[in-house]
Amino acid sequence: MKLNKDKLADFLAAIPGKTIFGPQLCGETLKFTAITKAGDLCLTANNTNVPPKSVVFPQTETMLRFEQWATDIKTAEPAGEIVLFGIKPCDARAMLIVDNVFSWGVEDPYYLTRRTNSTLVGLACLDPCVNCFCTSMGGGPTSTDGLDLLLTDLGNSYLLEVLTGKGEVLCQAAGKLLCEASGADKDAAKLLQEKAAVQIRRQIDPSGVQARLPALWESPVWEKISASCLGCGICTYLCPTCHCFDMQDETEGVESRRCRTWDSCMFSEYTLHASGHNPRPTRRERTRNRINHKFSYFVDKFKVIACVGCGRCINHCPVNIDILDILSKVGEDVL
Amino acid sequence: MPDFDKLRALAKETISRDDIKYLIGWRQGTYGYRTSPHFVRIPEDADQLIFSPLCSSNLATYLALAEKRPVPRGSQPDTRKVAILVKGCDSRAVVQQLVEQGIKREAVYVIGCPCEGVVDLRKLEEKYPHTLDRVGARWENGNVSLDLPSGNAVFPREEIVAGKCLTCRYPNPVIADVTLGENVEVSGSTAFEDINRFEVKSAQERWTFWRDKFNSCIRCYACRNVCPMCYCAECILDKQNPAWIQRSVNISENTAFQLARAFHLAGRCIECGECERVCPVEIPLSYLNRKLVKEVTEQFAFTPGVDPEAKPLLVGYRPNDKGDFIL
Amino acid sequence: MSENFEPNVVAFLCNWCSYAGADLAGTSRIEYPSNLNVIRVMCSGRVNPMFVVNALQQGADGVLVSGCHPGDCHYMEGNFLARRRVALMRELLNFVGVDERRFNMSWVSASEGAKWRDVVKGVVDNLHEVGAFTEFPRKKIDW
Repeated sequence: MKLNKDKLADFLAAIPGKTIFGPQLCGETLKFTAITKAGDLCLTANNTNVPPKSVVFPQTETMLRFEQWATDIKTAEPAGEIVLFGIKPCDARAMLIVDNVFSWGVEDPYYLTRRTNSTLVGLACLDPCVNCFCTSMGGGPTSTDGLDLLLTDLGNSYLLEVLTGKGEVLCQAAGKLLCEASGADKDAAKLLQEKAAVQIRRQIDPSGVQARLPALWESPVWEKISASCLGCGICTYLCPTCHCFDMQDETEGVESRRCRTWDSCMFSEYTLHASGHNPRPTRRERTRNRINHKFSYFVDKFKVIACVGCGRCINHCPVNIDILDILSKVGEDVL
Repeated sequence: MPDFDKLRALAKETISRDDIKYLIGWRQGTYGYRTSPHFVRIPEDADQLIFSPLCSSNLATYLALAEKRPVPRGSQPDTRKVAILVKGCDSRAVVQQLVEQGIKREAVYVIGCPCEGVVDLRKLEEKYPHTLDRVGARWENGNVSLDLPSGNAVFPREEIVAGKCLTCRYPNPVIADVTLGENVEVSGSTAFEDINRFEVKSAQERWTFWRDKFNSCIRCYACRNVCPMCYCAECILDKQNPAWIQRSVNISENTAFQLARAFHLAGRCIECGECERVCPVEIPLSYLNRKLVKEVTEQFAFTPGVDPEAKPLLVGYRPNDKGDFIL
Repeated sequence: MSENFEPNVVAFLCNWCSYAGADLAGTSRIEYPSNLNVIRVMCSGRVNPMFVVNALQQGADGVLVSGCHPGDCHYMEGNFLARRRVALMRELLNFVGVDERRFNMSWVSASEGAKWRDVVKGVVDNLHEVGAFTEFPRKKIDW
């Protein structure tokens, strides 16, 4: 199926009763926000600064409200149906990975409701960024993992690839706006997709990393890597698979609310005990934890690497701490 | 590639001294135009040192950021000096830390690098996106010369350097135990045209501008952590009791955070522009800082980070300070 | 602005001068607007500018910091230190678009009950003009 670009606005308008989120330029920042008209969408740019995890796992989420002296508790309304339009394949794959965490042992109603109610309309990544390495992490610029519908930009139109029932629903709603794709369109899309895969220039073989990490626990390599680390939250906040959160009760007069906010293992308060003891006292331990979590602990538990190779942590790190560089150091470090 | 022999020889000589713990400099980054802070612990490490218009990091941050591990029983604490390469603005951070007694003079060995300006990577990224191959850069007769994969390219200073460098009044280190290279000409002015232009807008316009900017803040605290002047052991932003700034990310808390950050730099900001450089959501933080720099300059004729003997601005007063706002 | 808007003003008064001045206004039956929520502090130099930001966040429409006249500070120089901080914080608030009339400072001594009335009247009248603080109060952001 095919959608002409001039019909995009109609396509979005035809989606019934769902809030549409898409990449939008807010000032100079590209992030996923609710869009009201197709013109707000910014589909040509590279990865958004803030990953779309901010839609299904908001940075701040009020879980319940209560008042002083009152005994009743008001809980959050369940989230409505949403469409994530123009999500990159890496970010969609990241959501599949994070799903593991929020359904592990205890099912998290806030996150899982949003995920169940979300339709992911992917946009094939035909012009990958300089630091993309998705192909090394099991994905690819046109990977369909986690997507319901994949769009490929053919210049004047989008080629639609229906992947799930949810994607089918959107296509049915669009009805006559779509036209049948010709064989030539499909060939053109295939060519573009192949070209994109070749454009991914950064590569690494992560297969040995998990096995090597436990032995490197006390290695001086962590000291070296973390020496220049500032301890800010950029790499974790902008990571589509980082999912740590903190819960706090916040008070406004007699009203209080319990909310959860993103937290980062790169902050010292993250592991600070009430006693004052901190099991990860320095940036060395924190950096070590970040790498171990993504490439060792997570793999042990869920059989998948908690990194999709979107390159955000490399792009935005103020001091050029490069996760590929770390992985190659881990690979070559002689014990 | 430019010639770094002199720098590396000096670094080797420095690190070989008995009273130097380690040396902090810059090295080529892992890709493109990026450079990275580099810690020299043995003479061989010095072979990777560089100093080019791409070295924008303010290394003075690492003086305060150094983590002190507990000293094992029976051994003495390491009291050797930390050697540090500083540009003009970085050296002001060192001075201001000395003024505030954040560090001791005998604990640092300052190697000054007169600086003609650093490149704004965002401007470069716009011109040459997707550059993976490592790029070298050097100054050539007041222009920036870049060794790009596509060949050499020369840019006039005004076109490519960071905004802070265009107004820089201290390109030469104000404190140094040894200086590398010749001092450069001072060209910056104390005019605050950008700030003045913004101030004449209506309050409504100003708030709309900042509301949009503060709304994008994700509170990663990179601006605080990268700041050489933000070295408090306990930060107001991390305090839970009382929680001056709550953890939830919304316009109220974000504004309070940004006001707190900016105000805590009043009379202390040395205009290295690092906060703005590192911001992943591109909030023009140096605008806020420069506003306070302007007030501090105009109201109190004070310039932080220049005189190691000075008294910090907000711990002193003059009986005739401006007070026309007082009812 | 609605007709019956009454600004909520948080006033930080120094223990030695302004608080006594406000007290004097009360005992002398000098009438002044009742919009104030007075917080007694030991010195105007005790007022951290973050108090002001926090007061605005928590629902104040304006803030008044009042201390001793220059030279009269019980701690010699607390009010001078406060003056510098207030001057800079006012400029900063103004720069981000918060009307500077929301943040006021005054010198009121223990004997100036009448001046206290004038100061409070001035502040409250100004705030009637400026209106309610809508820029960044804490309020229900979502549901």
